[in-house]
Amino acid sequence: MACQELQRGETLATLKRESEALKKKLEVERGKLTDVELHQVAEKVEVLGTLSLKTKRVLKGHGNKVLCMDWCKDKRRLVSSSQDGKVIVWDAVCVCVCVCALSQKHGISLPCTWVMACAYAPSGCAVACGGLDNKCSVFPLSLDKNENLAAKRKPVAMHTNYVSGCVFINSDMQILTSSGDGTCALWDVESGQLLQSFHGHTADVLSLDLAPSETGNTFVSGGCDKKANVWDMRSGQNIQSFESHQSDINCVKYHPSGDAFASASDDATCRFYDLRADREVAVYQKDSIIFGASTVDFSLSGRLLFAGYNDYTISLWDVLKGTRASVLFGHENRISRVRVSPDGTALCSASWDSTLRIWA
Amino acid sequence: ISGKMSSSNSVVQAQKLVDQLRVEASMERLKISLTAADLVRYCQDHRRSDPLLTGIATSSNPFKDKMCVLL
Repeated sequence: MACQELQRGETLATLKRESEALKKKLEVERGKLTDVELHQVAEKVEVLGTLSLKTKRVLKGHGNKVLCMDWCKDKRRLVSSSQDGKVIVWDAVCVCVCVCALSQKHGISLPCTWVMACAYAPSGCAVACGGLDNKCSVFPLSLDKNENLAAKRKPVAMHTNYVSGCVFINSDMQILTSSGDGTCALWDVESGQLLQSFHGHTADVLSLDLAPSETGNTFVSGGCDKKANVWDMRSGQNIQSFESHQSDINCVKYHPSGDAFASASDDATCRFYDLRADREVAVYQKDSIIFGASTVDFSLSGRLLFAGYNDYTISLWDVLKGTRASVLFGHENRISRVRVSPDGTALCSASWDSTLRIWA
Repeated sequence: ISGKMSSSNSVVQAQKLVDQLRVEASMERLKISLTAADLVRYCQDHRRSDPLLTGIATSSNPFKDKMCVLL
């Protein structure tokens, strides 16, 4: 018995030595390839002109903090979820005059509060949502306003802690979720079966995003262990890991090229990671920004990064030059989510002030 | 027993970490001069079809202000 213990101790020491050596090797290898900085390569690119985005719509209807939103592929509808336990499907184009009753096409009440994640199905025929109920449920949508949507609720995913993010993949057939239980998981919508789980984070996973290319089959996740991990969807293997933030990573989002991703963190910075160079290539920060960044998204070309902060503002960063191009004011509380519309003509922001805004 | 359990657990954990680091260390990397040039090219190639960057003709924007008045 004692002999076994001794052996284990030795194995542990060997393994620890090996991981230290590997970590050093990684650092050296990554360092070798930094022959130039991104902003230097972008030096000759013309400076951005004046960007004057204005609030075009304010969506009012939630009774508490709006925690998440997602666009429908039709470019005019969107789904939002709130701390009040409600999920609302909006027509964002006509809301301005349609006010609440009409714009609020479908209201869904969940049995729990804090609906932290929601997603629109690619077909436009369903939405998924989840939160403190530790589940991710799918609601088929119909145009019949009198229909009781809550009755059509279909629980798909089940975690052992809150659901922080969800996204449909492979048309409406599968859902990928991230959770406070430290895992991400892939589920079959029809059967509710767990298809693959992704272990590697050592704390709550707060966000995930799919690679934009259909063939990529990878996704990125970020969480309270300050790590952003890239995963192979098929094998479940964690293929890349980035640890440079000083605090929780609240959001991760792929660059439209698929070769990089951005992250937003409580450390008041957003960062940009190049997947092929396997390292951080830009940090978006300013001395005047002292509150955490909660959410990020790219414009269609990938030149602009929209970042929502806990100081109620949205910053527009020049991804290539690393400078701030503009700031959007309007919300009266923390920004929880920013998402560019599928055709790239508008930005939607969700806030703890219980409203959503459309900027264009 | 619990001590033994945790020591064998930590061996499993340490082994997992080593396996993970091996995967990460074995990957092929490109120089930033190459990858950054590609990122710049992507942004430049798509800038004309990026309405939030270049602005958009009012007539084709579903969120133009006029919409409110019309409805």
